[in-house]
Amino acid sequence: MRNGLILLILLSGLAACRKDPGLQVDDVDGPFLLELPVGAPPLPVPDANPLTKASVSLGKALFFDTRLSRDGSMSCASCHHTDRAFSDTLALSLGVNGSPGMRNAPTLANVAYHPGIFRDGGIPTLEAQVIAPVQDDLEMDHSLQAAAESLSVDEEYQRLSQLAYGRDLDPFVITRAIAAYERTLISGWSRFDRYLYQGQAQALTESERRGWDLFRSDALNCMACHNGFDLSDHSYQNIGQYLAYADPGRARITLDLADEGKFKVPTLRNIALTGPYMHDGAMATLDEVIDHFASGGQAHPNRSPLLTTFALNEQERADLLAFLHALTDERSIDQVP
Amino acid sequence: MRQRSILHQLFVVLVLPLTLVTCKQGQPVPPEPELIGTLRVVIRPTWDGMPFHMNEVYHNVSDYRVKVEALKFYLGDVRFVDDGFFAAAKDVSYFDLQHDGDTVVWNNVPTGTWTSLRMGLGVPQALNDADPIVYPPGHPLSLALGTYWTWATAYRFVMFDGRYDLDGAGTGPVQQPFSMHTGVNVCYREFDLPLATPLVVNGTSTSTVVLELAVDRFFHSDGEVLDLATENQTHGNDPAHVVALKLTNNVINAFSAQ
Repeated sequence: MRNGLILLILLSGLAACRKDPGLQVDDVDGPFLLELPVGAPPLPVPDANPLTKASVSLGKALFFDTRLSRDGSMSCASCHHTDRAFSDTLALSLGVNGSPGMRNAPTLANVAYHPGIFRDGGIPTLEAQVIAPVQDDLEMDHSLQAAAESLSVDEEYQRLSQLAYGRDLDPFVITRAIAAYERTLISGWSRFDRYLYQGQAQALTESERRGWDLFRSDALNCMACHNGFDLSDHSYQNIGQYLAYADPGRARITLDLADEGKFKVPTLRNIALTGPYMHDGAMATLDEVIDHFASGGQAHPNRSPLLTTFALNEQERADLLAFLHALTDERSIDQVP
Repeated sequence: MRQRSILHQLFVVLVLPLTLVTCKQGQPVPPEPELIGTLRVVIRPTWDGMPFHMNEVYHNVSDYRVKVEALKFYLGDVRFVDDGFFAAAKDVSYFDLQHDGDTVVWNNVPTGTWTSLRMGLGVPQALNDADPIVYPPGHPLSLALGTYWTWATAYRFVMFDGRYDLDGAGTGPVQQPFSMHTGVNVCYREFDLPLATPLVVNGTSTSTVVLELAVDRFFHSDGEVLDLATENQTHGNDPAHVVALKLTNNVINAFSAQ
């Protein structure tokens, strides 16, 4: 009891000494209790990086910290906007040098469920993924070590780092904390979820329900890949976007020409918010996307055999679009205070 | 017949190894070297046998004008060798020739007298596949060195960058860029480097080994030419690694030890 009182007073004293008023997280003890939507599979969390209040709070603060970039101009959130389900509005995000990146920044919603990170799946874990944007000269163009050194002067960061990982803030902590935060970005709060997983038939309009029927029809065959809770099987598919791809896609990782032009099937959650679409952001609207799939795509040798051609009348197109809009979450996917 | 065959197999499996063990026991076992030596490793680049300088224009085997702007590489799993006996000396070491050479000191290397080195050009697979975040600043695999391919979650092995001009008689600036980075496990290559004079490592003083690196040989070996006109880029995304493997082979053949 006496020790607890001393600790409390000591912590209060430390808090009073804080120089940076920007970050102040009070409730940081214990595990972070993530609320999973009905229908969501158990969250895969590595034993070595558990979700704690300290780890996810630290990760969130780092996610929005521009000191992770070489010139202090951009953070992770610069390309993963909270109001866009953590995706970007640009076809190709701009890095600190003003030059466009290689690919369209995808939504981070449900990224915890992805077996491989990035559109080519080349990064095995969220922890390893953090290194890439920080050190990529087309993105933040910084050194993770240098970033850690500049961030470690922040006393609140150090406090959270010690609480979460028992060590001072360093590249290890940065990668773990940001990964922990990203793992909490769970989408599953749309009207479609209420309709499908909670039996609320009225959650969707008639038009949206017709769109859902079209979506799961054999004629459109969307669900061949866009299935499961994340509306993606996370497989790699060539959708015949080009006859010759400037970006090798999955083949960059596997070095197998049979994988050229294949990219990870994206989630359709919040699809109305995450345009422009495709790996290079080449399609600005959902109408363009529907047109592409209706055409069956171009005859690339690796084009997925799952693609079909189809035709939609005006009403069917409107219904399909309405359904896709019903996949937008009704609440924030960010649960970290 | 079948029973005889089984007896024969039993003999091979049980009796023969005993014989081998007996023979082995009769051989002298070399003493385990102590890991208390210090070795200074000097990389001395040359061009046609003369000292090499970064950013200087040279003529390569194709009579192209060539200017090297960056040359960095890893040597991995270095072992000292003598008369068939191997002693591990260094897991991985990084060299950056930006100052026309590089010198790295290896501590805790095995003492003894050694006649050759065996090493790999690149980062051994176990280290290449490991999490890079654990290496502190100053470690050859530290992320701070910028040698990690984040997209491939692997290290680059050889980073060879510069400019070239196909006109060997040209006098203007050399402008066309070449950039050849090797760095996936299939490009890791072991090679042996006989030492001109035996390397003596003891626990009392620092020994030195000078590895000469003939940069002009980066463009040819074994009668095969790496032609900058068509082979000037490689970044790990060629399924066959044609340029990367050719460069790897050339670099290995460019080493010699004094």
